[in-house]
Formats: sequence, structure tokens, C-alpha cells
Amino acid sequence: MIRNLKLAAISRTASGSVVKARKICYTAARRQEHLPNSSSPITPKLEFFNSVTGSSEKQIPTYRVLDGVGKPIDGAELPEIDEALARKLYETMQLLPTLDNVLYNVQRQGKISFYMTAHGEEATIVGSAAALAMDDEVLGQYREMGVLLWRGFSLENVMNQCFGNELDTSGKGRQMPVHFGSPQHHFHTISSPLATQIPQAAGVAYALRRTPSRRSRSIAACFFGEGAASEGDFHAGLLLASTIPSPALFIARNNGFAISTPSTEQFYGDGIASRGPGYGIDTIRVDGNDVLAVISAVREARRRCLEQGRAVLLEAMTYRVGHHSTSDDSFAYRARSEVEDRKRIDNPIARFRLFMESQGWWNADEETELKARLKANVMKAFKKAEGLKRCEIGELFTDVYGGEQPWNIKEQREELAGLLKKYGETWEPWRTELAKFKNKGQDLLGR
Amino acid sequence: MLTTTFPASTRAARRALSFSRRWNSTSAEPPPPGGHLPSIATSKVLRTTRETALRTPGIVWTDEDASGPSREIVGGRETRKMNTYQAVRDAMSIALSKDDNAVVFGEDVAFGGVFRCTMGLAEEFGRERVFNTPLTEQGIAGFGIGLALMGHTAIAEIQFADYIFPAFDQLVNEAAKIRYRSGGTYNVGGLTIRTPTMSVGHGGLYHSQSPEGFFMGASGLKVVIPRSPIQAKGLLLGSIRDPNPVIFMEPKVLYRSAVEQVPIDDYELPLGKAETLVHGSDLTLLTWGTPVYHCETALHMLASPGPSLEAHIPKSLRSAKIELIDLRSILPWDVETITESVSRTGRLVIVHEAGMTAGVGAEISAEVQRRCFLKLDAPVKRVTGWDTPVALQYEKFHIPDAIRIVDALVETLTY
Repeated sequence: MIRNLKLAAISRTASGSVVKARKICYTAARRQEHLPNSSSPITPKLEFFNSVTGSSEKQIPTYRVLDGVGKPIDGAELPEIDEALARKLYETMQLLPTLDNVLYNVQRQGKISFYMTAHGEEATIVGSAAALAMDDEVLGQYREMGVLLWRGFSLENVMNQCFGNELDTSGKGRQMPVHFGSPQHHFHTISSPLATQIPQAAGVAYALRRTPSRRSRSIAACFFGEGAASEGDFHAGLLLASTIPSPALFIARNNGFAISTPSTEQFYGDGIASRGPGYGIDTIRVDGNDVLAVISAVREARRRCLEQGRAVLLEAMTYRVGHHSTSDDSFAYRARSEVEDRKRIDNPIARFRLFMESQGWWNADEETELKARLKANVMKAFKKAEGLKRCEIGELFTDVYGGEQPWNIKEQREELAGLLKKYGETWEPWRTELAKFKNKGQDLLGR
Repeated sequence: MLTTTFPASTRAARRALSFSRRWNSTSAEPPPPGGHLPSIATSKVLRTTRETALRTPGIVWTDEDASGPSREIVGGRETRKMNTYQAVRDAMSIALSKDDNAVVFGEDVAFGGVFRCTMGLAEEFGRERVFNTPLTEQGIAGFGIGLALMGHTAIAEIQFADYIFPAFDQLVNEAAKIRYRSGGTYNVGGLTIRTPTMSVGHGGLYHSQSPEGFFMGASGLKVVIPRSPIQAKGLLLGSIRDPNPVIFMEPKVLYRSAVEQVPIDDYELPLGKAETLVHGSDLTLLTWGTPVYHCETALHMLASPGPSLEAHIPKSLRSAKIELIDLRSILPWDVETITESVSRTGRLVIVHEAGMTAGVGAEISAEVQRRCFLKLDAPVKRVTGWDTPVALQYEKFHIPDAIRIVDALVETLTY
């Protein structure tokens, strides 16, 4: 606006006549039919605009290819998928609830401190993972373990992180359970603050664009929930990846709830998808319980990211079947029957199983075998991880800085060592705890 | 957010000039109309000859390999007269030319920046490497973190330190903790956030702040504040190449007023190290950034107070030997240099522009009293901004200027 005012002032001074200046402006406006900082057409009609709540028919449609019983819907084009891919999809989708059930119960027994299931969102997560390249950089929120599993992150790795034991490659036992990370799998370490990964994804994508070996080949895929999309960082991230062209694919998991807050209290507009066009980015809404629709949509979104070098937004509509986390009892704010209905009517795994069966790729015997095998594998990894010690206690003080550790951290490490020497055997809470660490604190006590 | 380009501080230069006349004169002259003001332009702290510039303590020539000749041999090296913004620009130009993965971005950096620190860089290195971002500080920090996560060198600018708070979450919860939380598998060592800081004479609430204290508790970050062009270039290159995220705060009043002969070669100055500018044995005066010059002025005033101040400064104190230290790095700070000095002098005065409560001075005094308890002859004194916002028309009475520093020196020496 200031720029416009300046121009008007200049033309006024130059012409020496306000009338003449107006004439020039009028002619310019007529010729361009829009204002200098916009390509908006000029209209004499006083009309307010609301593409979202103005009319319900104007809501962004939801893309789907399989109906509730796994049959292709009229006019739907299935993504290219062979039996091997379908089986991997199905097995990974089934692995998620297997893991979730075990780890959820393990938390209930107090063996791990925290857990978050992905019940109901298996198709969104595994379908997205399948449509991405294995080395696309993934920045997640916390409900995206399925991407890691798809990429070969082992069950041992999952368990070691949740137990925070000495083999935890995600973070040496420093972060809460489900905060996974693995550079080898191009999966950036999860952190609890919501939406912070969204502008980071724009930066990661820009770096990919500037790396000759990955330019036009790799994208950054960023997952977040519809609640996180209310954070300022959502705005920043989409704005940046569209304005500073960066191949970032933003995948919103709209599962209806942010802890107890229903999405109706999260936004008044048409979900998350309606915001994409405001940032000038290609957007699609997809049935997140239809794994084939997710695959098609993510494949096409990824292609556009690479072709345009810019952000793309995908909103996957799902339902959070499980509680928010092990610290949450969701029946305090929603009816048990509502959840049971959703589980029965629209289960993403069951839907895909029906499709598999219709193709002759799956049967009841295989189902029994798979479930038994997955359960056995999960239990084996669980037992292995449960028996392991934590890292050496000195790891409390490492990795704060790269290069030389500052004096204050060195001194505080020494201070803890002194206290352990003094009280490590006599102060019961410490004695019990030290026994859980590798070498029982000798790395501090010995030096 | 409001962004203002401050015109050349000609007023400051004029003041400085009249001030220098005053101090170089042998005849008794009345103090200048503005009172005793800092003499940035004529400061002895500034290295205005090639010889002194090339002998800057701690300088490391990065084009020399470790097994090469001693860095005391400076033959063949050139210097150029630069003010602080030119030195900052020079550092970024070197970083961009030596590292293809380095990019510079922020609000209005493409045309040269509101303080001219990025002048010509977009033309020289292209808009893919030097570019504007939308006006979003949390976005700028997050974007920089993303670049650094991929091993790239991200040199981001926050237009004023007053506007760094929207990025506080990204800096404190993310940048500072990424290496730790990932068990060392990811890091954002390539991230440097530059931001103009401290008062400028007329910046009011939101163009004057010194937020270094808020970041002092963010272990995982480094916080660096230079005092001059040579320091700005060397410390900025050191910050850009440090394997940790660094917040680099540039005292904005020094952009044009502080001028030195700056070595044109690539060199670094060490992070985490204070520098003793004046050696002394009676009191340690510790500061950083702009107040370095107020402290220097205060030392002159203590040694030879004008007629108007004579009554306030006992004759016995005029020969006091004050040790002046520039802290340079706020996090981690150089505890060794400070405690060694205070153990010798027995007295400590800390000067900073930020408010007193929970400021950087609080942390340092607590640590010094713990380590030097038996050596202290007087309480540690802090001369700081008041615990109020920086009110526009009241700035002269807000900042810790030379008279307040002199008063603190007298009080502490006579305790």
C-alpha cells in the first residue's frame, strides 16, 4: 500500500495538477484492469466473498477410489499396484496395530512411560510412505511410525526407543517414547512442540533443491495433525515453501480431534485443505482411510512438488480411533459408541483387506498366519529390549554442544559424579535407578 | 513489524568529535552540551592502523594451515578501512564464496538490508543464495533450522533483536536441543542468526532491546556480541563455522560509528573467550557491545575528571588501575578470564544495557561470588538498564552511560 501511495504522490507532483494525475491513474487502471500489487479484476459490485461457509456445495471434495467394502467406486482409477506392493502395504498396516496393542498395554503395566497409537490412521501413514521415495526427507509430528516401518526401521529400533535403552539409536534414551528419528531412513527426529517441523520442512526442501544430486529427485514430506495446523508455524511453513519455491509436501492428518478438542473448535473454515489455495499452492483432500486413494494422491502431489519445485498440500480425512495418548481417556469427551461405530463402519485395514481378497491376493489362512507372525515378532523384540540396560549415565551430559563441551557442562558432570560417590549407595532412589544404567554409573564414578 | 532504517549517526559523530577535542585539550573547557558521551569515533579500543589491526589478539588466519608459520608473522596481509556493517558484509561475502552451501536470508536482505549489511551480496552471489523471506520470524528461524539439518550453512537475519521473540520457540526448543535429543544423529551447527541489538539513541521500546539474557539459559545455543568491525568479522566467521547454532547480536549504533582497519583476508576470532582491553589491578570492569565505549569514557573520566566532576571523584581514586574486559561471548561465557581477573583485583563492576533482574550480570555475579568469595573486597556491582522497557524520550536516563559507570567505579573502589 505504501508503494501505491508513493506512486500517486509522485505523479501528482510531477504533473502539477491533481486532476491530470487522476486522469493518468484512471487511464492506467482502465488499461490494466487491476491494481499494481494484484491481478484482481476491478468490480463495481459490493460483494463479500467466502468460498468456504458461503455454500455447503462449495466444500472441497474428498478423493476416494475404494468404497467401504473395498470395491472401486464408479469412475475411479486405481493406482498402479502389484501383488507384492499390496502385500507389503497390508502387512505394514497390520503391523501398526500389533505394535500399538502391545506397547499400549506395556505402558499400562508401567514398563514404558508413555505411548501413542495410530489406530485408524494406518492407511494415511502407510499409504503416504509407499508413495514417497525411500530417501524423501520426512519430518513428522509423532503418529507416523508407519513411515519408518515401511522404510525398514526395525522392531528392535522401535522397542529400544520406547524403552530408552542403551541401543536406542533415536536419542540415547533422552526423549519420550515414540520420538523416533533415523538419518539412515531419512526420518528427522520427532520433537514434542507441535508444528515446529513445518517451517523446518520448507528449509529442508530448499536444501534439497540446492543439492545437485537431489534436485528434482527428492522432496521433503511433512506430517502434522489438524490441531497443529492452528499453530503460527503452519502459516509460516506453507508461506515459505510457496514464496521461496521449495519442494515440500505438507500432509495434514485430519482425524477430528486434537486431544479433546474436536475439529469444529479448531477452525471455522473448510478444514485444512481450504487454506492451501490462499498460499497459492496446489491442494487436495483425500479419504485417509482408503490406502489406494492416499497412494494416488501422494504420488501425484509428489510429482507436482518436483515439477513445480513448490509446496503442495494434502489433507487426509481420518478418524482417531485410539485415545490421544496413554495419558488420555478419550471417553471423557466422546461417546464410546461413536468410536465403536467408526471402527466397525470404516476400518482402513479391513477395507483394504476386502480389496486384497477381491483380487485373490489374500485369504483367511494368510490372515491368521500374518497376525500370529507379527505378534511373535513384536513380542520377541519387546522381550529383547526390556532386558537391556540404559546408556551410560554420562550420556546425560554429551551432545549438548558439538565440538568442545563448555566448562559449565563439564563441571556439572563432575558435580553429579561427586554426589553419586557420596550418595549413590545410600540414597535409595538413586541406588535403584543407577542399577538400570549400563555399568551402574561407573563411567562417572570411575573417573 | 515496524522496521526503521536509522540515518547515519552524524549526531553521534559530531558529539564524538567535540568530545575528543575535550579530552585532547589541555585547557579547561566546559563539558560538551550533551554531557560526557562515548567517543566511539576516537576510541582507543578501535584499531585504526594496519599494524595494530593485523595484531588483533587471538586472530586465526583461516587460510593458514596449523603447521604453517606462526600467526604473529603478518607480512603481506592487507587491511581496509571498514565500519561495522561493512565488516559484517565482508564476513558474509567470504562465507558465501568459500562455501557453496551457504545462503543468506531474512526480511529485506536482498536489496542490501535495512542496515546495509548485505549490500551487493544478492548481485554477487545470486538470488538463490541471498534472498528475502516473507515477514515471519518464526518462519525464518524454522527455515534456517531445516537448511542446517541438511548440513547446509544458513545465515539468517532477524531485522531487530526486539523481533526475535516470535522465533524463541524455534531457537530454544528446536535449534538448541536438536543435537541432544537426536543422540547426536542430527544437528543444526550450520545455523547462524544475525540480529541488530542494543540502543541507538531513539529506538524506543522495540528498536533498542538487548535480549541476550533470555538466551543465556538455552544450553545448546551460543550467543556472541562483537564490539567493533574487526571483532564483528572475525567473530561472525567463527560463528558461521562453529558446529553449533549461534545467535550473533550486532550492536546497531556501531554499524556506522565504529571504524577500523579490518584485515581483508579470511580470519576468525575465538568464541567463548573474553578479551582484556585494558589491564589493571584495582577493579575489573566487565561489559560487551556498545557499553564497551561508555566504559572507556568512564575510565578517562575517572582518571581526569573535568571541573564539574572533580568533587565527586576523590583524588586518591584517579590513579586506580581498572581492568576493562570485553566478554564477547555470552554463552558459553569465559569464566576463567573473569575469575582470574577478579581474583587479582578483588572488585567487579558489570555493565550491560539490558535490565538488571535476571540479566546476564546476575548469572556472572553469582558465579564470581562463588568462585572468588575470599578475594572480593566489595560487593559485585551491576550497572544496567532499569527494569523497565526502553522508553523513547528517556533513553539518556535509561542506558548505563559513562557517568553511571564512573559512579559505580567510585562506589566500588571506596566500599
